[in-house]
Amino acid sequence: MQVAALTAVSAMVVAGCAPSQSSSDTSKDAGTVPDKIVIGSTLPLTGAESKTGGRYKQGYELAFDEINKAGGLEVNGKKVKVELKLLDDTSDQAKAVNLAQRLITSDKVNAFLGTYSTSLVEAQSTVAEQNKIPYVNGGGAATSIYTKGYKWIFGTLAPVENLATNEMEWIDEQQKAGKLPKPAKVAIVWENTSHGKDFRKGIQEFAKKTGSYQVVVDESFALDGTDFSAVLNKVEAAKADLFMVDAHLPDFITMHRQYLSSGMCNKIETYGARGTEADAKKALGQKGVDYILSAVWWNKQLGDKGLNKKFVDSFTGKYGKAPEWYQAVSYEAARSLFTAITNAKSVDKTKVRDALSAIDIDSILPGGKLSFPADKGGQASYPFVVQQNLPDGSSPIVYPADVANGRGTAPNPGCKG
Amino acid sequence: MGQVLALAISAVLLAGFYASMAYGLGLIYGVLRVVNLAHGGMIMAAAYLSWVLFTRFSIDPYLAIPVVMVVFFFVGVAMYKGLVRHLPRGAAGGVQSLLLLFGVWLVIRNIAYLLFTGDDQAVRTSYSTASVPIFGNSYSLNRVLVFVISLVAVSVLQLWLSRTYTGKAVRAVTENSDSSTLVGIDVERLYALTFGVGTALAGLAGVLASTLFAFNPSFGSGELLKSFVIIVLGGLGSVVGIGIGALVLSFAEVFAIYAVPSYLTAAVGFVLLVVVLVVRPSGLFGSKVLR
Repeated sequence: MQVAALTAVSAMVVAGCAPSQSSSDTSKDAGTVPDKIVIGSTLPLTGAESKTGGRYKQGYELAFDEINKAGGLEVNGKKVKVELKLLDDTSDQAKAVNLAQRLITSDKVNAFLGTYSTSLVEAQSTVAEQNKIPYVNGGGAATSIYTKGYKWIFGTLAPVENLATNEMEWIDEQQKAGKLPKPAKVAIVWENTSHGKDFRKGIQEFAKKTGSYQVVVDESFALDGTDFSAVLNKVEAAKADLFMVDAHLPDFITMHRQYLSSGMCNKIETYGARGTEADAKKALGQKGVDYILSAVWWNKQLGDKGLNKKFVDSFTGKYGKAPEWYQAVSYEAARSLFTAITNAKSVDKTKVRDALSAIDIDSILPGGKLSFPADKGGQASYPFVVQQNLPDGSSPIVYPADVANGRGTAPNPGCKG
Repeated sequence: MGQVLALAISAVLLAGFYASMAYGLGLIYGVLRVVNLAHGGMIMAAAYLSWVLFTRFSIDPYLAIPVVMVVFFFVGVAMYKGLVRHLPRGAAGGVQSLLLLFGVWLVIRNIAYLLFTGDDQAVRTSYSTASVPIFGNSYSLNRVLVFVISLVAVSVLQLWLSRTYTGKAVRAVTENSDSSTLVGIDVERLYALTFGVGTALAGLAGVLASTLFAFNPSFGSGELLKSFVIIVLGGLGSVVGIGIGALVLSFAEVFAIYAVPSYLTAAVGFVLLVVVLVVRPSGLFGSKVLR
């Protein structure tokens, strides 16, 4: 009896209620330029993802401040102020969907800036698609969002596949330089999410393409694991050269503590995007994160010239601290939407959508250009910034070569023998 | 063979933590017949208390155990006297207690979000990544310490229940609360005491968890569900059975990697739960009374 009740209550905790959604007509705003443009958005400002949500808010607000300080957004020769109507979705999928529905149908916003985390963006993007409103997000990286044939969804986060590919490209350079064995044995350990699946796909495809890598372990794990000994045991038994993991911070900390205390050491260690953040160093100590390879969408080390310098200076001036990748991708999401509205010379939703599809602007993101290619379903694609932690606490960029400020070390000097 | 032994030792160490999570839930259920859904929230809150004591006052988590347990004992007594005591007993009270304690859990979680935000926190001591060799393999020192402390906790709990007057009274109340009242046992006092001890044990689990894992205010839900699996496996209300249930769960999870993809290993416990409930509802090793 209690089991049934407990199960029922647990189900209430995890289950989201699917909101009813109705499609609405496309905009009636073709042709005219309004006195004010209202952009709707939701972010997780409270709840589990509140810290990240706060960072996205900073990126959005900086972009809005800049455009309004310049007199507004130019639309068909007229300067128009832009307003951000931002609501708190509390990291809750159902709420993100309902609030988006409200902003679009009741508040009649002109366009939408997306929320954070793949699961919320995935749910919210359906509302935008059904209501035919331009939806630009910087918070959903999973390719599954962009492979549904949607026409109104655009994302500034490059796919996680690129993360894996770019890390492998740097590793390949080390292998070609004779620093790593050929073929190298790879252990892929990935969280069982769309993020992890894209990571795994990137490595598998690279290994297949080059033929220089042999995947000896391919294991996934459920989020918030309590014990990784079985997986680590497999990696150790397979004598892998490359330990390639994709994990969120809590699993990274739990797994890497077990990894270190079991005396394991691989020639290359990576936990995907994890490793450079202050929280990781706090939880594992500097020595614990030495030589970990990681890759993110943007890093402030890119910011010593051009648009990047302007962004870093402007952000630091407003918030008194340096930006991270969260603020960079959200800033670019807002900026690309503004550019599309200007290019469309209208707030007509279809015209803005078409302008977003055709956009190709200078960007602060690696590669220096931002577009939303149709063959990728509107998801931007650019190289990740690959970094490696050094014992002095720095994490220089080691790849791509055009922005690298360090060479990186392989194999891991921390391994004995 | 070496790999099997290494995994077996890992499973035993993991069982130590699992058992520590389940003692409190099992004790409260065994005596009061109340499923304490706030148990996961208590584990999370204790992990935060341990983190605060460590980061603000530099108190080592293991040295903080007595402090945290005392604090949580009184929290448990207060929860019993302020909330649980007013619930109806018997089958009718079951759902009400579930809802009430689930509400308490939500309140605890949201207070934690307000106080600590959703950031992941971790306690890093000088020995967080230290290892100890066992049969030629290295294991996390923290996991070994957690196992030893869990073993001590179960021994003390068992001694308390079997050797002391109060413990015997608790067992008597578990067998028959009406008869216990007739022979002069203050049943209400013992219920409050048991709720306090059960909550203190959740506090212990929280401190131990803080040495092993990163945590945030959502921490504890997985721990609650696993605790529930353990007390059902071991026999509802059986203290020794809890230890055995924890071993069964940890062995099933660790060795499941040979049979199923590793992301499914966490689900193995729940499959076990269903099987045991169907085949042997009183648990693999337990009876329906606390002993």
